[in-house]
Amino acid sequence: MAAHTLKKSIWSLGRIHCHIYGVNVRNPLNRATYATALSTNHSSQNKGFPDRGNKGPFNRRSRREAGDPRTDRMPVDQDWTTVYPTATPFRQGSVPLPVRMGFPVKKGVPPEKKGNLELIKIPNFLHLTPLAIKKHCEALKPFCTEWPSALDTGAKCDEHFPVKVECKDYVSAGTSLRNPSARIVHLRVSLSACVNYDYAMYLLTVLYHESWKMEAWESEKTVADMEEYSWEDSPSQKNIMSTLVRMQVAGEGEGEAVREELLGRPEVQEYRDSVTRLKNEGESESSMHQYRDAVKKVLNL
Amino acid sequence: MLYTCLLPACQSEQHLGQYYTVPPSHFHTVFPHGLPPRYQQQVKTFNEGCVMVRQPALELISHLKRADYSKPTLRYLLYGVKGSGKTMSLCHTVHYCSTQGWLVLHIPDAHLWVKNCKELLPSSYHASRFDQPIQASNWLRNFRTTNEHFLSKIKLRQRYVWTKRESTEEGRPLGELVDMGVSRVKSSSDVVGAVLKELRLQAGGTEGGFRLAVAVDGVNGLWGRTTLKKEDKSPVAPEELTLVHNLRKMINNDWCGGAVIATLSQTGSLYAPSSAYLPQELLGEEGFDSMDPFVPVPVSLYSEKEFESCYLYYLDRHWLQHPHSQTEEGKKELIFLSNRNPSVLERLCAFL
Repeated sequence: MAAHTLKKSIWSLGRIHCHIYGVNVRNPLNRATYATALSTNHSSQNKGFPDRGNKGPFNRRSRREAGDPRTDRMPVDQDWTTVYPTATPFRQGSVPLPVRMGFPVKKGVPPEKKGNLELIKIPNFLHLTPLAIKKHCEALKPFCTEWPSALDTGAKCDEHFPVKVECKDYVSAGTSLRNPSARIVHLRVSLSACVNYDYAMYLLTVLYHESWKMEAWESEKTVADMEEYSWEDSPSQKNIMSTLVRMQVAGEGEGEAVREELLGRPEVQEYRDSVTRLKNEGESESSMHQYRDAVKKVLNL
Repeated sequence: MLYTCLLPACQSEQHLGQYYTVPPSHFHTVFPHGLPPRYQQQVKTFNEGCVMVRQPALELISHLKRADYSKPTLRYLLYGVKGSGKTMSLCHTVHYCSTQGWLVLHIPDAHLWVKNCKELLPSSYHASRFDQPIQASNWLRNFRTTNEHFLSKIKLRQRYVWTKRESTEEGRPLGELVDMGVSRVKSSSDVVGAVLKELRLQAGGTEGGFRLAVAVDGVNGLWGRTTLKKEDKSPVAPEELTLVHNLRKMINNDWCGGAVIATLSQTGSLYAPSSAYLPQELLGEEGFDSMDPFVPVPVSLYSEKEFESCYLYYLDRHWLQHPHSQTEEGKKELIFLSNRNPSVLERLCAFL
């Protein structure tokens, strides 16, 4: 029967406090309890709910009480690296500091750390105390080689290693790992330290000639890859050419001669400059005005 | 001198800042769908439609008067910050064209064709394109209202076959085509394409020629992205829509005998930042290259004189009821709050 199995399961789990349906089922109605297979019918306790094991309609599974927070038992000279060995979210029961965070509502104070989501959301560096970092360094030491003893002054370092590369890393709380400023790398060479002038000249000459070489894939450069807008062979040029030709501005004649003549005209040059300015410099009122005047001149308005 | 009774054709520089009334009979024919919604409410409230004569519209009209219509079409682009009066200038120009007997092709908002379409049918004419029957039939209905008198005069130059049993023969009047498009909603997008093609071919014609004005509001919606999705949830590019494809052909300047007047609009545009108002920002590279070369016409906020005029008009119509608004102090407050932006001023005055 339902109540019988209920009671049996409770005893077998050995729980002390069981509050199912708000009634202490352990000894309801103060009847004598017998540890036998038979027992009296307590189906009235069920109140008509079907048996779901310990789940019940409200999942009132018996749970133990939360104990004291760890902070109460922390000695002052404890080893903090054991409390926060790795990067973990903030646990208010493990941090013995009276931290407050959040907006003070109604002229109050910032809310305390207990149950404070704001403290949990932010990144914390509790795992990186100086002691912890020291320990990390000690652990890494076996894998490191010694600093060369001969390089004890800055001047000696510069002499042997004239090229210095400086990279920057950024740490910030945000949606993305990447910081575009981290892509900038500084390479420093002191020119006075360059001993081998001939070699430097040789290198520069090689680079210069190398830059003139065309790779096969360079011919695949599309309009979208171009650094600057060039008016030649652009849709703008084609449009204006076809418009002018249809307007029969140049008079009779076909083909290249007409095109050359049209391109040479000052209005067309002005138009070309205004379009290039618009595309390269971006838009502004003044560039729009310039474009307007150029178009009006070209189209004879 | 607040009002002038001259129609757009006779207005000139000396009428800048004055209001002229659009005859009530013109409202239903010329503007079945073109006016901004708040202005339509104002017309209903004041029982008349008064439009201020402003510099951009006058400039456009003067260009239209002097242009040579045997040359390829000129494109004019109205641009300016939000609320500066681009749509109103466009409507003013459309009114002028209409009074001069032009055929007006007014697309009230090109953005309506690239978003919020409940029905997207695959086109029967071209396999990879999509039709928008509701939008097309709505537009055809309004087109019919605007250009009634042209519909019987223009004859088709080509035979159009819609289904196995239905076709429109050569030589039939355009009105028949439009009626067919309104009634047969399924093929209305193709009808729109056919109408545009016929008008393009016949616009500059010598026998029975007419001038064609293509007025597109929110032309930047034709290039860029749409919010429509195909059945497999991939986005639809604008050129895959029949209506957009045909309209782009109209905006090209390979036909003659008319003009293309367009405005940019950030309100209603998709994926454009709200501070964008310059042509290249809103049109994008593709749009700019298609429109190039065009004449950009900047529409600025009210000048001092125009603001005076607008303020006096509202006073005259007893729209400004609050006693403080009728004082000098109140006027200065209005200037400060609205920064002389026409639409902001209109909204502010609506509260007073």
